[in-house]
Formats: sequence, structure tokens, C-alpha cells
Amino acid sequence: MVLTGRAGILAAAGVVFVALVMPSWSGVGLVVAVVLVVCVVDVLLAGSPRRLQFSRDGDTAVRLGEQAVVQLLVTNPSRRVRGWLRDAWPPSAGVLDPPHKLDLPSGERRRLVTHLVPTRRGDRQAARVTVRAFGPLGFAGRQGSHEVPWTVRALPPFNSRKHLPSRLARLRELDGRTALLVRGQGTEFDSLRDYVPGDDVRSIDWRATARRGNVVLRTWRPERDRQVAIVIDSGRLSAGRVGDAPRLDHAMDAALLLAALATRAGDRVSLLACDSTVRADVRRPAPQDVLPSFVNALANVEAELVQTDFRIVVSQVLERLGQRSLVVLLTGLDPAVIEESLLPVIGPLLRRHVVLLASVADPRLTELESSRADLLEVYSAASAARTRLDRDRLTATLTRAGVTVIDEPPDQIAPALADTYLALKKAGRL
Amino acid sequence: MSTSVGRSVGESWRVLRTPLLVTGLIVLAAIVVLIATSARTSGPFSPDSTESDGARALAALLKNHNVDVHSTETLDDAVQPGEGKVLIVGPAGSLDRPDWERIANAGWSHLVLIRPGSRALEVLAPGVQQTGNTLASRSREPGCDLPAAVKAGTATVSGPTYSAPSAAAACYGDGINNTVIRVEVGDRIVDVIGTPTSFTNEQLADDGNAALALNLIGTHQDLTWYLPQFESTDTGTGDDSGAPLIPPDVRYIAWALAFAVLVVAIWRGRRLGPVVAEQLPVIVHASETTEGRARLYRRSRARDRAAAALRESALAQLHKAHGIPRRADPSAVVATVAARTGWDPAMLYEMLYGLPPLTDDALMSLSDELDILTQEVRHP
Repeated sequence: MVLTGRAGILAAAGVVFVALVMPSWSGVGLVVAVVLVVCVVDVLLAGSPRRLQFSRDGDTAVRLGEQAVVQLLVTNPSRRVRGWLRDAWPPSAGVLDPPHKLDLPSGERRRLVTHLVPTRRGDRQAARVTVRAFGPLGFAGRQGSHEVPWTVRALPPFNSRKHLPSRLARLRELDGRTALLVRGQGTEFDSLRDYVPGDDVRSIDWRATARRGNVVLRTWRPERDRQVAIVIDSGRLSAGRVGDAPRLDHAMDAALLLAALATRAGDRVSLLACDSTVRADVRRPAPQDVLPSFVNALANVEAELVQTDFRIVVSQVLERLGQRSLVVLLTGLDPAVIEESLLPVIGPLLRRHVVLLASVADPRLTELESSRADLLEVYSAASAARTRLDRDRLTATLTRAGVTVIDEPPDQIAPALADTYLALKKAGRL
Repeated sequence: MSTSVGRSVGESWRVLRTPLLVTGLIVLAAIVVLIATSARTSGPFSPDSTESDGARALAALLKNHNVDVHSTETLDDAVQPGEGKVLIVGPAGSLDRPDWERIANAGWSHLVLIRPGSRALEVLAPGVQQTGNTLASRSREPGCDLPAAVKAGTATVSGPTYSAPSAAAACYGDGINNTVIRVEVGDRIVDVIGTPTSFTNEQLADDGNAALALNLIGTHQDLTWYLPQFESTDTGTGDDSGAPLIPPDVRYIAWALAFAVLVVAIWRGRRLGPVVAEQLPVIVHASETTEGRARLYRRSRARDRAAAALRESALAQLHKAHGIPRRADPSAVVATVAARTGWDPAMLYEMLYGLPPLTDDALMSLSDELDILTQEVRHP
């Protein structure tokens, strides 16, 4: 049961009545009785929120930062329902609409639209739908709730997709579709065609020329159908915030750009998100499914405050990769963790594959190092310098061990990773 | 499709039944206990109270001396015909002048007024007046020729004092301010006692207090012990007590107002559905460990470590900028940097390889110098 402001006004008027007209117990009793009778009659005449029927429809997934639209279909099989309807979602689902005003005559249905702009990645589940139906007098009413399940998945935003066109152009250059037909490392035989004046004479296939009678040229293309394994560390190294998002989110962004680029380059991409257990695992999807399956798998991955077990990472990667492949490890450059838990176990991986370690650098460290106004800032600068030196030392150690290291700030990490991939491809190291 | 949540009236009743029953029983038990115990501890100078300021000891003593003690808290018992009986009127209460007149007219043979106010004195003991002074607790001689007091001897008295007319017996005071006064009005004896604490459980055994109490009070076989409560038969009818401070209508308005407040509270208090809870991510800044280490450096005044880190960082930048080999000799590094920047070699050596700074100021100036040196490298 709910009351409205009118009931409050009626009770307040009752105070005036008692004060001026009937200052006695019977006056007080009269006021209480009138208010109670009016409210009870109103409640009895109000429509029933419990009998309403609901169903939902609309978006099930939305890129973080964009707007999802979820519709709620309300059917009223019984008496007219007049009042308010609140479609409740968790705060991070970002509901834009205030409670809906509802006036639903008997036997009719209405479509109510809720707009959501999720503020965090992951699944957002609808809480309950609450209806408050007032009686015809507007003094009191009934309230009831319904569970109408619906889930909107907020996918990783993939902000780095703006870098994709320029990298694809570089890839096409590499691919030979725009420029040279030069044989070299990182290329494989593509096809034979007739010689055209101006072609590089070194590419003439003399054996085919002898068979055909006219001069035939070999063409080359970059290696294709290589495997790329992207491993995202979802442990505590990825939990730290750089800028306004955890390292994990920047890492996902970089991983998606690399996946898009590698797919276009004809390589097979697989994904693994791992801390103490495997959190997301996508194995070699079809080229058109790469991005959808990746964003879906990553949508619910959150950084856990546990130490990543790199033995799992290594064994999982070795298990799924047969031929020589590129392994991209997105983690943090923490000397203690990497030296103690990654370096001892990375040997088998390095022997069979090309390993690339990408880490999001923190611009705040540069800031700390450069401001030296007072004593605390000098100590902060010294501390930041020590951190950077440790990272540099770790980078050198990893490079000596044969790992390619990328350590870039959040806005640079995705393009830097894409560029490194292109460079490796060009150099034929895949 | 949807499922309705929430409970119907029957379900609500089934769920709430047991808690309501338990709460009701607890409240009921509390009320019963309160009622059962209230008589025993009903305030100071009650014949049933065993507290230190009660008078159960005195009541028991009187009973041992064959005095029937009737305890009462209602005025009606105090205005019954009282020939040949004693009435003790306790210290609390809010009796009005007409109430005292009714007590006076009841015809008690002996009245004992414990710490009476001016209205009671005017009606029952004309001539006795409050002095406004208070005596400190001390053992005193009777100082009068009242037989009851003389027989009792010294008594420990304290409390408000009264002045007596010349015909009265005024005892236990300093001559002007007295704590025990006996006047005779017609054939009625009226005792005015300003020192109720002397007869409480705590002090009854001291001095001659018990004897004094028995001598004063135990004059008749039948004793009524009246503790006035906040009641009066006089409300609204007395002409000399003036108009009541709160008009009687206000109480009805207050009740109506309370009801209105309840209605408004229900109106504003009901939410449109429950608050939706969700798990929030932990927020850890990646630079937190670095900043924490800076504070540790500062707290332990680790100037040597800070200076070493700054120097190493500056050297790394210089190595990179000037193409100096990694394992170069310090003197070679200083010579190269001096040649490129034009700084004094001795000063450079002191800056890059010198002893750790001994004061915070030295650390600050070292940091500034290294900053300037590396800035030239960064922005040539």
C-alpha cells in the first residue's frame, strides 16, 4: 500500500478541523476514520500491479559508451492501472529515463522504452520492474514488483579502431597489392604471370619460361596463415589504473586492434585471458567471427587481484599452437613478478615461438619524475626514476632472452603493437 | 515473460506472524515486569523501596512496634476520616491548596509532613515558614525540650530548614533554622520534618535517627503513609491556581498533528522499488607503489637512495644522448659530458659520482642540478 500527497493534505486539513471545529477526542477519531476510509476505498479500487504481464525486447549488446535501447511491453488483463512504472537497472547500466508514467486501460498494452548508456564493461542485468497504481481518487494505491529478466552486455569499446585504416594501408603495401613485387624474407610464392617490361628480371622463372615459350614471372606475397596467440594477463598486474581505466582495458583495446589487423593479413588469431585460471578462451575463430567473438569473450573479464600463474599461460599456449607462431603477451612490467614467475617458465615458449611482451606504461611516472618543486616531489622523482630504471633493466633482460618488449603509454600501446606486428611480418619473423 | 515478486497478504502474515508474536510477548513481559517492580522502587522515601533513599527499614521498624503501616499513592486514601490515626505525607507531588485543605479537614490526629512546601505549611502548619537555607549533614543535639527529641538524643540531620513560631517546638538546627518542628493546631499534632534523609534506609541506623523517627511517628497504632504523585483533583476547577499553562484543546490538535505526520511519513517513506545493488571494481592506481615508496624514502630520510636513483637516471639519459658506452669509466663519462655541455668537469664528477647528500637542502640542489643537466640533453 502506498499513500500520496493528497492523503497528507487531507490529514493536514484534519488538523485544522480538529483545531477549529471539533477540539475533542471524537474530532480526532473522525479525522482518522475519514482518512483511513478514503485510503482503504482507494486501495480497493486501484488496479492490480501484480496482474500486469511484462515482456522485453531490444538490444542485448552495446559497445561501451554507446546507447542501448530496451523495450518493455506491458499488458494489462484486469482493471485500469494508473500510476508510475520504474524499470530498475544497476547504477552502472546508466539508465537515462526517469520513472515512466503509466495509464493503461483494461485489456490494452503499452511499449515503454528504456535507454541505457553503460558506464562499465560487462553484463548488466535488469533488476525488477516496480509498478505503483493509484486509486481513482488519487489518495492511495498499490505497489508491486515483477522480475523481467534481460541482460545487456557492454562490450569493450575498441577505441583504437581509428588506427585500423592507416595500418591496413601499410599492410596492403606489404601485401604487394599497391607496390613492389620484390622477393625477400617474409614472402612466399604466390603465382606466375607473363613478364611485362619493367618487371624485375630477377623474378623471372626460367623453368616455367622454358615450358611456356614466353617469359614468365613469379610473384610473391607476404606469408599468410600464420598463427597469432594473444594472451591477456587478467591478474593483479593488469588491475592498476593508468589514466582513468585499468591496464586490462588498454590491453584489450590493443588486442582488438591487433586481432583486426592480423585477420585482414590472413593470419589466424586466438585469444586467451588468464590469471590463476583461464577467464576467456577463443580458439581460431573464422575470420569474420574474430572481432565479435573476441569482444564477447572479453566483455566480462575483470582484473582479479591475484598473482597470474604463467605456467598455465605457457602450457595453454604450447597446447594450442603447432607451427611457429607469434605469441603476444599483454601484461605489466613489474620486475619482481616477471623475473620470478615468467622468466623461469618462458623457455619452451621462446624455443618454438616468437614472443612479444606489451605493457602499458604509466604517464604518471614521467610526471612524477619531472616535477621537483619540494622535498616530497624530489623523493617522488627519485622513486619514479628507480621504478623506470627497474623497468628498463627488466626490458633489457627480456630482450636478451629473446622477447620483444613494447612499453608505451595507454594512447600509444595499440598502434605500437600493430606497428611491431607489421614490422615482424615485414621482416619475415613470423 | 515476467514473474511477480513480493508477497500477498496471506504470505506476509505467515512470514510476519512469528516475529510479531515474539515481539508482542517481549513487550508484554516487559510491561508485567515494570508493573511488578515499580512499587518496590517507587522513588525516594517509599516504605516499599529498598534503595538507599527508600524507607523500607523505617516501615519495618514501625511494624515491629505494632504500628499498622498502610502505604498509598492516591489522594483519596489521605482524605479519609483520620481520628486517632497518623498520616505521613511524603516529599514529592504536586498537590494544590484545595487538596491540602481536604487533608486538613479529614481530621487526622497526627500529621507528619516530610519536607513540605509553602502551600502545605500555610494550610496545615500556620506560622511555620521555609527559611530557604539548607543545613549540611552533621550530627546535632536536639536543642529543644520536645520529649521525643530529648529521648532520642543526637541525630544526623541535613536538608532544608524551617522557622517556627514561638509556641512550637523547634529542634535539630542552629537555633534559627530547624529541621524538625512540632506544632499543635487545635487538637492535631503537626510535625514538619526537613530532613527525610535521616530516616532513609541508608542513615536510619546512624546516631539516634531510628529513635527519633519512632518517637515522632509512632504515636498511634494506625499509620497511613501517603506518597503524593503528580495528581490533583483540582485541574481546571480551582479559581486560585490561575489558568492552566497549556490549553486543553492542544492535546487533541497534537494527536491530529501526529496522525498527519504519520500519513506524510508513509507517503514520503515508500520507495518506488528497492535500491539496486551492484559490485564495484577495486580502484588501484598503477603508480601507487611508486608514490608509496617516495613517502617511505621521505619518512626514513633515505637521501642516499634517492640521490643514487636520481644520479643513475641522469647517467642513463646522458649515456643514451651522448652515445657513451655502457661500461665507460666515470672519468671518461665526465670528460665527454663536460666537452659536450661546457660544464666544469670537477663539478660534474661531484654531481654524478659524489658522496650522498647529507641534508635535505643538499638533496634538493643536487636534484635541481641534475634536472638542468638532463634538460639540456632532452631539449638541446
